[in-house]
Amino acid sequence: MPPTKIRPVDRLAQAVAKCPAESTAYGKCIVADFHNVHKDKCFAEFQVLQACVQRHMGKR
Amino acid sequence: MSLYTPRIRIQTQRGAVWSIRQWRSRLISPSCNFRRHLAFAADSKNLGKNGTGPNDPAGHPQGAAAPFQIFDRQVKKLHRDRAASNVEESRKVDYLRDEVADRLVDRLYDINRSYDHVLDLGAGACHLARALHKPHPPLGPFADRIKHLTCVELSSDYLGRDEDSYIMPSTSSMKLTRVARDEETVLFDPPSRGGEMESSMFDAVISAGSLQWINDLPSVMTSISRVLKPDSPFLCAMFGGDTLYELRTSLQLVNMDRLGGVSPHVSPLADVRDMGGLLQRAGFKLITIDVDDIIVDYIDVFALLKDLQAMGEANAIFGRRKGLAGISKEALMGLDGVYRELHGRPEHGGSGDGNGIPATFRIIYLIGWKEGVGQQQPLKRGSGEVNLKDVLGGEGRDFGKE
Repeated sequence: MPPTKIRPVDRLAQAVAKCPAESTAYGKCIVADFHNVHKDKCFAEFQVLQACVQRHMGKR
Repeated sequence: MSLYTPRIRIQTQRGAVWSIRQWRSRLISPSCNFRRHLAFAADSKNLGKNGTGPNDPAGHPQGAAAPFQIFDRQVKKLHRDRAASNVEESRKVDYLRDEVADRLVDRLYDINRSYDHVLDLGAGACHLARALHKPHPPLGPFADRIKHLTCVELSSDYLGRDEDSYIMPSTSSMKLTRVARDEETVLFDPPSRGGEMESSMFDAVISAGSLQWINDLPSVMTSISRVLKPDSPFLCAMFGGDTLYELRTSLQLVNMDRLGGVSPHVSPLADVRDMGGLLQRAGFKLITIDVDDIIVDYIDVFALLKDLQAMGEANAIFGRRKGLAGISKEALMGLDGVYRELHGRPEHGGSGDGNGIPATFRIIYLIGWKEGVGQQQPLKRGSGEVNLKDVLGGEGRDFGKE
Protein backbone atom coordinates (compact mmCIF):
# COMPACT_ATOMS: atom_id res chain seq x y z
CA MET A 1 0.00 0.00 0.00
CA PRO A 2 1.55 3.36 -0.97
CA PRO A 3 2.09 5.51 2.11
CA THR A 4 0.23 8.49 0.66
CA LYS A 5 -3.10 6.68 0.62
CA ILE A 6 -5.17 7.20 3.74
CA ARG A 7 -6.83 4.07 5.03
CA PRO A 8 -10.64 4.37 5.14
CA VAL A 9 -10.61 3.65 8.84
CA ASP A 10 -8.27 6.58 9.41
CA ARG A 11 -10.60 8.85 7.51
CA LEU A 12 -13.46 7.66 9.68
CA ALA A 13 -11.37 8.13 12.82
CA GLN A 14 -10.52 11.70 11.83
CA ALA A 15 -14.14 12.47 11.04
CA VAL A 16 -15.38 11.06 14.35
CA ALA A 17 -12.69 13.04 16.18
CA LYS A 18 -14.18 16.21 14.70
CA CYS A 19 -17.58 15.47 16.23
CA PRO A 20 -16.80 15.14 19.94
CA ALA A 21 -20.07 16.67 21.14
CA GLU A 22 -22.25 14.41 18.97
CA SER A 23 -20.16 11.37 19.83
CA THR A 24 -20.45 12.08 23.55
CA ALA A 25 -24.19 12.65 23.28
CA TYR A 26 -24.63 9.27 21.62
CA GLY A 27 -22.41 7.61 24.20
CA LYS A 28 -24.33 9.19 27.07
CA CYS A 29 -27.64 8.07 25.59
CA ILE A 30 -26.48 4.44 25.32
CA VAL A 31 -24.80 4.32 28.69
CA ALA A 32 -27.69 6.06 30.49
CA ASP A 33 -29.60 2.77 30.73
CA PHE A 34 -27.26 0.11 29.47
CA HIS A 35 -29.20 -2.81 30.86
CA ASN A 36 -31.99 -2.11 28.41
CA VAL A 37 -30.34 -1.30 25.12
CA HIS A 38 -32.44 -2.35 22.16
CA LYS A 39 -32.35 -1.64 18.46
CA ASP A 40 -32.52 2.05 17.61
CA LYS A 41 -32.68 3.05 21.25
CA CYS A 42 -30.57 6.11 20.43
CA PHE A 43 -31.51 6.52 16.80
CA ALA A 44 -31.96 10.30 17.03
CA GLU A 45 -28.56 10.83 18.60
CA PHE A 46 -27.00 8.48 16.10
CA GLN A 47 -28.47 10.35 13.15
CA VAL A 48 -26.96 13.59 14.41
CA LEU A 49 -23.60 11.89 14.84
CA GLN A 50 -23.79 10.26 11.44
CA ALA A 51 -24.64 13.55 9.74
CA CYS A 52 -21.68 15.23 11.41
CA VAL A 53 -19.29 12.41 10.52
CA GLN A 54 -20.47 12.34 6.93
CA ARG A 55 -20.01 16.08 6.67
CA HIS A 56 -16.40 15.72 7.73
CA MET A 57 -15.80 12.58 5.69
CA GLY A 58 -16.49 14.55 2.54
CA LYS A 59 -13.58 16.91 3.12
CA ARG A 60 -10.31 15.34 2.20
CA MET B 1 -17.81 -6.24 36.92
CA SER B 2 -20.85 -5.81 39.01
CA LEU B 3 -22.26 -3.29 36.53
CA TYR B 4 -22.92 -6.10 34.11
CA THR B 5 -24.38 -8.71 36.35
CA PRO B 6 -27.25 -9.95 34.22
CA ARG B 7 -30.55 -9.85 36.00
CA ILE B 8 -32.05 -13.13 36.93
CA ARG B 9 -35.44 -13.03 35.30
CA ILE B 10 -35.24 -16.29 33.50
CA GLN B 11 -38.43 -17.79 34.84
CA THR B 12 -40.64 -14.99 33.67
CA GLN B 13 -38.91 -13.97 30.49
CA ARG B 14 -39.15 -16.23 27.49
CA GLY B 15 -38.63 -15.93 23.80
CA ALA B 16 -36.40 -13.54 21.95
CA VAL B 17 -35.73 -11.06 24.70
CA TRP B 18 -34.66 -13.78 27.02
CA SER B 19 -32.33 -15.38 24.54
CA ILE B 20 -30.67 -12.09 23.72
CA ARG B 21 -30.14 -11.40 27.40
CA GLN B 22 -28.65 -14.82 27.81
CA TRP B 23 -26.39 -14.39 24.86
CA ARG B 24 -25.27 -11.02 26.12
CA SER B 25 -24.53 -12.29 29.55
CA ARG B 26 -22.64 -15.15 28.07
CA LEU B 27 -20.44 -12.84 26.05
CA ILE B 28 -19.97 -10.55 29.01
CA SER B 29 -18.74 -13.37 31.16
CA PRO B 30 -15.77 -14.76 29.24
CA SER B 31 -15.22 -17.67 31.55
CA CYS B 32 -18.71 -18.90 30.85
CA ASN B 33 -17.95 -19.23 27.19
CA PHE B 34 -14.64 -20.80 27.90
CA ARG B 35 -16.21 -23.46 30.06
CA ARG B 36 -18.38 -24.36 27.16
CA HIS B 37 -15.27 -24.57 25.06
CA LEU B 38 -13.64 -26.84 27.60
CA ALA B 39 -16.71 -28.98 27.82
CA PHE B 40 -16.72 -29.44 24.09
CA ALA B 41 -13.04 -30.22 24.09
CA ALA B 42 -13.65 -32.84 26.72
CA ASP B 43 -16.43 -34.34 24.63
CA SER B 44 -14.19 -34.47 21.62
CA LYS B 45 -11.57 -36.23 23.66
CA ASN B 46 -13.99 -38.94 24.67
CA LEU B 47 -15.24 -39.29 21.14
CA GLY B 48 -11.72 -39.61 19.89
CA LYS B 49 -10.90 -42.21 22.50
CA ASN B 50 -13.82 -44.34 21.48
CA GLY B 51 -13.47 -43.79 17.80
CA THR B 52 -9.80 -43.68 16.95
CA GLY B 53 -8.15 -45.93 19.43
CA PRO B 54 -6.34 -45.34 22.68
CA ASN B 55 -2.93 -44.50 21.21
CA ASP B 56 -3.73 -40.93 20.30
CA PRO B 57 -3.00 -38.71 23.30
CA ALA B 58 -5.04 -35.87 21.92
CA GLY B 59 -7.86 -38.13 20.95
CA HIS B 60 -7.94 -36.80 17.40
CA PRO B 61 -7.59 -38.80 14.25
CA GLN B 62 -4.10 -38.38 12.92
CA GLY B 63 -3.65 -35.18 10.94
CA ALA B 64 -7.24 -34.10 11.50
CA ALA B 65 -8.24 -30.95 13.32
CA ALA B 66 -10.10 -30.99 16.60
CA PRO B 67 -13.81 -31.54 16.01
CA PHE B 68 -14.80 -28.38 17.82
CA GLN B 69 -13.13 -25.23 16.57
CA ILE B 70 -13.59 -21.70 17.80
CA PHE B 71 -10.66 -19.98 16.18
CA ASP B 72 -9.82 -20.10 12.52
CA ARG B 73 -6.10 -20.90 12.57
CA GLN B 74 -5.76 -20.24 8.85
CA VAL B 75 -7.11 -16.73 9.34
CA LYS B 76 -4.84 -16.26 12.34
CA LYS B 77 -1.92 -17.11 10.09
CA LEU B 78 -3.07 -14.53 7.57
CA HIS B 79 -3.36 -11.95 10.36
CA ARG B 80 0.22 -12.56 11.38
CA ASP B 81 1.45 -12.61 7.79
CA ARG B 82 -0.21 -9.27 7.34
CA ALA B 83 1.33 -7.93 10.53
CA ALA B 84 4.76 -9.01 9.31
CA SER B 85 4.29 -7.41 5.91
CA ASN B 86 4.74 -3.97 7.44
CA VAL B 87 7.82 -4.39 9.60
CA GLU B 88 7.92 -0.82 10.81
CA GLU B 89 4.30 -0.78 11.99
CA SER B 90 4.65 -4.22 13.48
CA ARG B 91 7.70 -3.21 15.53
CA LYS B 92 5.83 -0.17 16.80
CA VAL B 93 3.19 -2.36 18.41
CA ASP B 94 5.69 -4.74 19.98
CA TYR B 95 5.24 -2.88 23.28
CA LEU B 96 2.67 -5.32 24.60
CA ARG B 97 4.36 -8.55 23.57
CA ASP B 98 7.71 -7.22 24.76
CA GLU B 99 6.27 -6.33 28.14
CA VAL B 100 4.73 -9.77 28.50
CA ALA B 101 7.94 -11.45 27.37
CA ASP B 102 10.01 -9.40 29.83
CA ARG B 103 7.76 -10.37 32.68
CA LEU B 104 7.93 -14.02 31.73
CA VAL B 105 11.73 -13.89 31.59
CA ASP B 106 11.58 -12.34 35.05
CA ARG B 107 9.90 -15.52 36.24
CA LEU B 108 12.52 -17.66 34.52
CA TYR B 109 15.16 -16.09 36.76
CA ASP B 110 13.29 -17.46 39.77
CA ILE B 111 14.26 -20.98 38.73
CA ASN B 112 17.91 -21.53 39.39
CA ARG B 113 18.75 -23.74 36.44
CA SER B 114 20.49 -23.86 33.09
CA TYR B 115 18.84 -25.39 30.06
CA ASP B 116 20.20 -27.26 27.08
CA HIS B 117 17.18 -27.10 24.82
CA VAL B 118 14.18 -24.82 25.31
CA LEU B 119 11.02 -24.64 23.21
CA ASP B 120 9.29 -21.31 22.64
CA LEU B 121 5.76 -22.24 21.61
CA GLY B 122 4.05 -19.46 19.66
CA ALA B 123 7.12 -17.31 19.39
CA GLY B 124 5.67 -14.47 17.34
CA ALA B 125 8.59 -12.48 15.95
CA CYS B 126 10.90 -14.14 18.50
CA HIS B 127 9.93 -11.66 21.19
CA LEU B 128 10.99 -14.02 23.95
CA ALA B 129 14.38 -14.60 22.34
CA ARG B 130 14.90 -10.85 22.34
CA ALA B 131 13.76 -10.51 25.94
CA LEU B 132 16.14 -13.29 26.94
CA HIS B 133 19.05 -11.21 25.67
CA LYS B 134 18.22 -8.09 27.61
CA PRO B 135 20.66 -7.38 30.43
CA HIS B 136 19.12 -7.98 33.81
CA PRO B 137 21.49 -6.36 36.33
CA PRO B 138 23.09 -7.58 38.48
CA LEU B 139 22.57 -10.88 36.61
CA GLY B 140 23.57 -11.33 33.00
CA PRO B 141 21.06 -11.94 30.22
CA PHE B 142 19.15 -15.16 30.73
CA ALA B 143 20.21 -16.38 27.30
CA ASP B 144 23.60 -17.25 28.84
CA ARG B 145 21.87 -20.13 30.58
CA ILE B 146 20.23 -21.52 27.44
CA LYS B 147 22.19 -23.40 24.80
CA HIS B 148 19.52 -23.87 22.20
CA LEU B 149 16.15 -22.15 21.74
CA THR B 150 13.65 -23.53 19.24
CA CYS B 151 10.97 -21.02 18.24
CA VAL B 152 7.73 -22.43 16.85
CA GLU B 153 5.27 -20.06 15.23
CA LEU B 154 2.29 -20.46 12.91
CA SER B 155 3.26 -17.77 10.42
CA SER B 156 6.66 -18.08 8.80
CA ASP B 157 6.57 -14.41 7.75
CA TYR B 158 5.99 -13.23 11.29
CA LEU B 159 8.56 -15.64 12.68
CA GLY B 160 11.16 -14.37 10.26
CA ARG B 161 10.24 -10.71 10.61
CA ASP B 162 13.47 -9.79 12.36
CA GLU B 163 16.92 -10.94 11.36
CA ASP B 164 19.07 -12.50 14.08
CA SER B 165 21.09 -9.31 14.54
CA TYR B 166 17.93 -7.49 15.68
CA ILE B 167 17.11 -10.21 18.19
CA MET B 168 20.47 -10.96 19.77
CA PRO B 169 24.04 -9.70 19.80
CA SER B 170 26.48 -11.57 17.58
CA THR B 171 28.40 -12.57 20.69
CA SER B 172 25.48 -14.60 22.04
CA SER B 173 26.26 -18.26 22.56
CA MET B 174 22.60 -19.27 22.27
CA LYS B 175 21.55 -21.16 19.16
CA LEU B 176 18.26 -19.99 17.69
CA THR B 177 16.18 -22.31 15.50
CA ARG B 178 13.01 -21.14 13.83
CA VAL B 179 10.31 -23.65 12.99
CA ALA B 180 7.23 -22.39 11.14
CA ARG B 181 4.52 -24.84 12.22
CA ASP B 182 1.09 -24.55 13.72
CA GLU B 183 1.75 -24.53 17.45
CA GLU B 184 -1.61 -26.16 17.97
CA THR B 185 -0.68 -29.39 16.23
CA VAL B 186 3.11 -29.53 16.05
CA LEU B 187 3.49 -31.30 19.40
CA PHE B 188 0.69 -33.83 19.04
CA ASP B 189 2.48 -36.80 17.60
CA PRO B 190 5.89 -38.33 18.23
CA PRO B 191 8.03 -39.02 15.14
CA SER B 192 6.97 -42.66 15.17
CA ARG B 193 3.48 -41.47 14.19
CA GLY B 194 4.53 -38.85 11.68
CA GLY B 195 5.07 -35.98 14.11
CA GLU B 196 8.17 -33.87 14.45
CA MET B 197 8.90 -33.48 18.12
CA GLU B 198 10.45 -36.30 20.15
CA SER B 199 9.04 -37.10 23.55
CA SER B 200 11.11 -35.74 26.43
CA MET B 201 13.30 -33.61 24.20
CA PHE B 202 13.06 -30.18 25.90
CA ASP B 203 14.42 -28.99 29.22
CA ALA B 204 11.78 -26.29 29.38
CA VAL B 205 8.83 -25.04 27.36
CA ILE B 206 8.02 -21.34 27.39
CA SER B 207 5.26 -19.41 25.67
CA ALA B 208 4.28 -15.75 25.74
CA GLY B 209 1.10 -14.25 24.41
CA SER B 210 0.07 -16.96 21.99
CA LEU B 211 -1.94 -19.72 23.66
CA GLN B 212 -5.12 -17.61 23.71
CA TRP B 213 -5.65 -18.59 20.06
CA ILE B 214 -5.43 -22.33 20.67
CA ASN B 215 -8.66 -24.23 20.03
CA ASP B 216 -7.95 -27.34 22.00
CA LEU B 217 -6.00 -26.14 25.00
CA PRO B 218 -6.29 -29.37 27.04
CA SER B 219 -4.59 -31.51 24.42
CA VAL B 220 -1.93 -28.89 23.68
CA MET B 221 -1.07 -28.88 27.38
CA THR B 222 -0.88 -32.67 27.35
CA SER B 223 1.42 -32.52 24.32
CA ILE B 224 3.64 -29.99 26.08
CA SER B 225 3.92 -32.38 28.96
CA ARG B 226 4.91 -35.09 26.48
CA VAL B 227 7.83 -33.19 24.95
CA LEU B 228 9.18 -32.08 28.32
CA LYS B 229 11.87 -34.04 30.11
CA PRO B 230 10.84 -35.29 33.56
CA ASP B 231 11.13 -32.64 36.29
CA SER B 232 11.18 -29.78 33.76
CA PRO B 233 9.17 -26.57 33.89
CA PHE B 234 6.55 -25.18 31.56
CA LEU B 235 6.19 -21.41 31.78
CA CYS B 236 3.47 -19.61 29.94
CA ALA B 237 1.95 -16.16 29.72
CA MET B 238 -1.36 -15.83 27.93
CA PHE B 239 -4.09 -13.26 27.62
CA GLY B 240 -7.18 -14.27 29.52
CA GLY B 241 -9.98 -13.32 31.84
CA ASP B 242 -11.01 -9.72 31.53
CA THR B 243 -8.72 -8.87 28.64
CA LEU B 244 -10.30 -6.13 26.53
CA TYR B 245 -13.51 -6.22 28.58
CA GLU B 246 -13.97 -2.52 27.82
CA LEU B 247 -14.02 -3.20 24.11
CA ARG B 248 -16.20 -6.26 24.58
CA THR B 249 -18.86 -4.41 26.54
CA SER B 250 -18.89 -1.24 24.42
CA LEU B 251 -19.19 -3.25 21.23
CA GLN B 252 -22.11 -5.17 22.66
CA LEU B 253 -23.94 -1.99 23.54
CA VAL B 254 -23.32 -0.34 20.18
CA ASN B 255 -24.24 -3.46 18.27
CA MET B 256 -27.42 -3.85 20.30
CA ASP B 257 -28.41 -0.33 19.34
CA ARG B 258 -27.29 -0.33 15.73
CA LEU B 259 -27.91 -3.93 14.66
CA GLY B 260 -30.31 -5.14 17.32
CA GLY B 261 -28.07 -8.02 18.36
CA VAL B 262 -24.53 -8.92 19.17
CA SER B 263 -21.84 -10.63 17.20
CA PRO B 264 -18.62 -12.20 18.48
CA HIS B 265 -15.79 -9.67 18.31
CA VAL B 266 -13.61 -10.34 21.32
CA SER B 267 -12.47 -13.92 21.79
CA PRO B 268 -13.76 -16.09 24.59
CA LEU B 269 -10.78 -16.22 26.91
CA ALA B 270 -9.59 -18.62 29.53
CA ASP B 271 -10.18 -17.58 33.10
CA VAL B 272 -7.69 -17.89 35.91
CA ARG B 273 -9.93 -20.39 37.67
CA ASP B 274 -9.92 -22.69 34.66
CA MET B 275 -6.18 -22.73 34.20
CA GLY B 276 -5.33 -24.63 37.38
CA GLY B 277 -7.60 -27.51 36.47
CA LEU B 278 -6.29 -27.47 32.94
CA LEU B 279 -2.66 -27.79 34.03
CA GLN B 280 -3.55 -30.42 36.57
CA ARG B 281 -5.42 -32.41 34.00
CA ALA B 282 -2.37 -32.36 31.74
CA GLY B 283 -0.39 -33.90 34.59
CA PHE B 284 1.63 -30.88 35.70
CA LYS B 285 2.80 -30.67 39.30
CA LEU B 286 3.70 -27.76 41.60
CA ILE B 287 1.41 -25.44 39.71
CA THR B 288 1.76 -21.70 40.14
CA ILE B 289 -0.67 -19.25 38.61
CA ASP B 290 -0.65 -15.51 38.88
CA VAL B 291 -2.21 -12.62 37.07
CA ASP B 292 -1.05 -9.23 35.88
CA ASP B 293 -3.23 -6.48 34.51
CA ILE B 294 -1.61 -4.24 31.96
CA ILE B 295 -3.74 -1.20 31.21
CA VAL B 296 -2.85 0.67 28.06
CA ASP B 297 -4.28 4.09 27.30
CA TYR B 298 -5.14 4.83 23.71
CA ILE B 299 -6.06 8.12 22.14
CA ASP B 300 -9.26 6.68 20.70
CA VAL B 301 -10.86 3.35 19.96
CA PHE B 302 -9.59 3.38 16.39
CA ALA B 303 -6.01 3.49 17.66
CA LEU B 304 -6.75 0.44 19.82
CA LEU B 305 -8.29 -1.52 16.95
CA LYS B 306 -5.48 -0.62 14.57
CA ASP B 307 -2.83 -1.63 17.08
CA LEU B 308 -4.56 -4.95 17.69
CA GLN B 309 -4.62 -5.54 13.97
CA ALA B 310 -0.95 -4.61 13.60
CA MET B 311 -0.11 -7.07 16.37
CA GLY B 312 -1.85 -9.81 14.38
CA GLU B 313 -4.43 -10.07 17.15
CA ALA B 314 -7.53 -9.33 15.08
CA ASN B 315 -10.67 -11.38 15.49
CA ALA B 316 -10.33 -14.95 14.24
CA ILE B 317 -13.48 -16.50 15.65
CA PHE B 318 -15.46 -18.64 13.27
CA GLY B 319 -18.68 -16.87 12.36
CA ARG B 320 -17.19 -13.41 12.75
CA ARG B 321 -18.11 -10.60 10.41
CA LYS B 322 -15.54 -9.35 7.94
CA GLY B 323 -13.78 -6.00 7.93
CA LEU B 324 -11.85 -4.16 10.63
CA ALA B 325 -12.61 -6.48 13.54
CA GLY B 326 -15.85 -7.18 11.68
CA ILE B 327 -17.51 -4.09 13.08
CA SER B 328 -20.05 -2.40 10.87
CA LYS B 329 -19.32 1.17 9.84
CA GLU B 330 -22.27 2.49 11.81
CA ALA B 331 -21.19 0.69 14.94
CA LEU B 332 -17.66 1.94 14.45
CA MET B 333 -18.95 5.50 14.31
CA GLY B 334 -20.75 5.24 17.61
CA LEU B 335 -18.23 3.00 19.32
CA ASP B 336 -15.79 5.70 20.34
CA GLY B 337 -18.40 7.74 22.18
CA VAL B 338 -19.81 4.75 24.03
CA TYR B 339 -16.36 3.40 24.97
CA ARG B 340 -15.33 6.82 26.27
CA GLU B 341 -18.54 7.28 28.20
CA LEU B 342 -18.55 3.82 29.73
CA HIS B 343 -14.88 3.29 30.51
CA GLY B 344 -13.02 6.52 29.84
CA ARG B 345 -14.15 8.31 32.98
CA PRO B 346 -14.10 7.51 36.66
CA GLU B 347 -17.87 8.08 37.09
CA HIS B 348 -18.81 4.69 35.68
CA GLY B 349 -15.91 2.84 37.20
CA GLY B 350 -13.60 3.49 34.26
CA SER B 351 -9.95 3.99 34.94
CA GLY B 352 -9.35 6.76 32.41
CA ASP B 353 -9.29 10.49 33.06
CA GLY B 354 -11.59 11.46 30.22
CA ASN B 355 -8.82 12.12 27.70
CA GLY B 356 -7.78 8.74 26.41
CA ILE B 357 -9.46 5.34 26.63
CA PRO B 358 -8.10 2.53 28.77
CA ALA B 359 -7.73 -1.01 27.48
CA THR B 360 -7.05 -3.79 29.96
CA PHE B 361 -4.89 -6.75 29.06
CA ARG B 362 -5.01 -9.45 31.70
CA ILE B 363 -2.01 -11.72 31.51
CA ILE B 364 -2.21 -15.13 33.17
CA TYR B 365 1.15 -16.64 34.05
CA LEU B 366 1.30 -20.36 34.47
CA ILE B 367 4.15 -22.43 35.79
CA GLY B 368 3.86 -26.19 35.95
CA TRP B 369 6.39 -28.95 36.35
CA LYS B 370 6.40 -32.30 34.64
CA GLU B 371 6.52 -35.05 37.21
CA GLY B 372 9.99 -36.40 37.88
CA VAL B 373 11.94 -38.55 40.30
CA GLY B 374 13.12 -36.67 43.36
CA GLN B 375 10.84 -33.75 42.70
CA GLN B 376 9.70 -31.72 45.64
CA GLN B 377 6.34 -33.02 46.85
CA PRO B 378 3.62 -31.13 48.61
CA LEU B 379 3.35 -32.02 52.29
CA LYS B 380 0.58 -34.33 53.38
CA ARG B 381 -2.65 -32.63 54.20
CA GLY B 382 -3.02 -31.88 57.88
CA SER B 383 0.69 -32.29 58.55
CA GLY B 384 1.25 -28.60 59.33
CA GLU B 385 2.42 -27.94 62.86
CA VAL B 386 2.32 -24.16 62.95
CA ASN B 387 -0.87 -22.16 62.82
CA LEU B 388 -0.53 -19.61 60.05
CA LYS B 389 -2.44 -17.14 62.17
CA ASP B 390 0.41 -17.15 64.68
CA VAL B 391 2.91 -16.43 61.93
CA LEU B 392 0.94 -13.79 60.09
CA GLY B 393 -0.47 -12.10 63.18
CA GLY B 394 -4.02 -11.84 64.41
CA GLU B 395 -5.11 -9.41 61.70
CA GLY B 396 -6.51 -12.08 59.45
CA ARG B 397 -10.27 -12.51 59.40
CA ASP B 398 -11.65 -15.43 61.30
CA PHE B 399 -13.99 -16.97 58.77
CA GLY B 400 -15.30 -19.58 61.17
CA LYS B 401 -16.90 -17.04 63.47
CA GLU B 402 -18.44 -14.80 60.86
